[in-house]
Order: sequence, then C-alpha cells, then structure tokens
Amino acid sequence: MYVNRLARHLPAALLIATTFAGTAQAATDGSLGATSTGSVVINASVAGRVQISKLSDVTFSAVDPGTAQQRAQSVCVWSNTAGGKYNITARGDGTANAFTLGATGLTAVPYSVEWAQTTGQTAGTALTTGTALTGQASLATSPTCASGPATSASLIVKMAAATLQTMQAGAAYSGTLTLVVAPE
Amino acid sequence: MASLGRELRNPAARGSHWLPRILPLLFGLWLALLPSPAAAQEKFVKIGNLTDYNFGMVTNLTADRSLASNICVYSAKATPGYAIRAIGSGAGGAFTLAGGGGTLAYEVQWAQISGRTSGTTLQPNVTLGGLMTSAIQANCNSGPPSSASLIIMLRAAALQAAPSGAFSGTLTLIVSSE
Repeated sequence: MYVNRLARHLPAALLIATTFAGTAQAATDGSLGATSTGSVVINASVAGRVQISKLSDVTFSAVDPGTAQQRAQSVCVWSNTAGGKYNITARGDGTANAFTLGATGLTAVPYSVEWAQTTGQTAGTALTTGTALTGQASLATSPTCASGPATSASLIVKMAAATLQTMQAGAAYSGTLTLVVAPE
Repeated sequence: MASLGRELRNPAARGSHWLPRILPLLFGLWLALLPSPAAAQEKFVKIGNLTDYNFGMVTNLTADRSLASNICVYSAKATPGYAIRAIGSGAGGAFTLAGGGGTLAYEVQWAQISGRTSGTTLQPNVTLGGLMTSAIQANCNSGPPSSASLIIMLRAAALQAAPSGAFSGTLTLIVSSE
C-alpha cells in the first residue's frame, strides 16, 4: 500500500523537482511574441588570495651599541577572505632560517621580528622563524592599498644592545627576511 | 421557414431581432479595425539558444575573465530590427552576483553578430536599440545557427573587490521588435 502511494506521487514529485531545478539553475529561452524574455544563470567562485606590499629595506647604520635599536615600518597586507583574515610566516636567511645578519669572516648576529595587524605600531607579536602567526585581520580594501587604507600592518625589526655590542665596528652585516602571507 | 413568415407578418417581432441582424456587420467592422495577422506576426521576436555562464574557480584576480556564447535572436519583420534590455538579479536590477558574504559585479556586452568576444556594454534595464538579426527562423534551426553574442565579463577590479567564495546570479534578457 505504501509502495502504491509512493508510485502514485512520484511523477508529481519529479515534475515539481524538475520545474524548480530548471528555474533556479538553468538558462531559459524566450518564446515567440511581441517581446521575448530569456534568462541565463551566471556562476563564479573567487579563490582566497592575499598580497603583501609596501615593504622597505631595514637599515641599522652607525648605531650606538649601547642602546637597543628597532625599525618599524607600515606595510600593506590584503586578504579577500571573510574579515580579511590571514596568517604570516617569517624566515631569515641564517642557518635553519634563523633571523641573523651575516658578514664575511664574522660571526652572524641575531635580530628579532615582530608583527602587528594594524598600521603605525612600534611593537607587536614576536615571530618565530617558520612558524605562522595566525588569526591576523586586514582592513586593506585593495591588493596594494592603492585605495582605502594606505597601509594595514606593522613590521618591526629589533636588535638588542647585547647583540650590537658583539658586532665589529665598520663591518657590513646583511641578511634577508622573507615574509609569507596566506589567507585564512 | 414558419418563423420567418411570422416575423414578416408581425413588425413588432421583426423589430425585436435587429441585434442579430447587425451582428455580422459589427463583427466585420471589428475585423477591419484589427491589425492584420501578418502585421501582428511581423512584430514577433524570439531569443533562444541561451546557456548558463560558469566561470568556475577564478584564481588569477589580476586579469579580466570573460565568457561569450552565441545566441539566436529572431525578428519576423521584413527589416529584422530589434532592441535588447538586460536586468541583473542584484539590487535594482544591478549586474551583480550574490554569495561569498558579498557581491561580485559583472559586465554585460552584446554584439549583433555571433562569434564575438566583445560588444556593446549594456547598462542594467537600459535598452540597446538599432540592432539587426540575420536569423531567418525563430529557433535558428535553418539559416544561421546563431545571430548574436552575449558576453559576460568579470573585471579584475571587481574580482579583487569581492570576498572569496562562490557567487551566483541570474541575468534576464528582454528582446523587443524595432
């Protein structure tokens, strides 16, 4: 009996399902008349993307080794995910990607890196090489901050006085810090 | 026959049936005032061969993306002119897709010949007139298989302004005779 009832209602159910599927998901042609109206469905997906820009080189030049030094810069990080969420990973070019500066024939010296998710900051969350700092959010509205906020985050590089005191005067220390941003 | 004889003998009965007698005349007058079937059909148009536009996952947000398809637009007029109007499913008929926690704007272009990848940009609910079709059959079953191009474009700026996620919308096209 139940099977009979199901069989009786199945065509109607299928008709309803087909009708709604057709109107919601498929193009419809117009009919011949004084006017003719048709429609198409447009579907697109936008991938999660981020961009970091407005980075500047960091220079510690002829600094007083008795005083800790820091250089902060405002950078642009853009993310198109909900809430502008992203994470950031930093790597130095020292041994095992350590945050160090090297000079020919001299011992490498360490520096530290901090990140703030807002612009204009001189302190932030300390980064560990190769470890993502998650849960960051950007207010940038264009990939390179060409419109909207001019910058959206802060990068702070620090050198401790103790480190400066180990460095040889007049020697040129150098290193590269790589920042990787990913959408969240 | 008996009834006719009764009416002829009875003027009162004859007068009460004046309406049926002038009905054919009224009907003829009504027909004369109507546009001829040929003239009415001449204004007939049809848009067909429409297909959905699926962009899939757009990963490069720095380049414009477009999809074009060939459409059949038929006009029964001796000079087969037509006009087209497009309405999106966004607010106020805007050409926007919804989803992903926001909207994704798109552009609509129309070309009066098939096989085109660019055309005249349409504005929402604004008629583009002065178009001609080469279709000779309402469904393009004979003659040219299509007669126009509909191009949907996602501009890089719009892709970058949209949040990530899936978007969908409906574009309605209204063709009228010209």
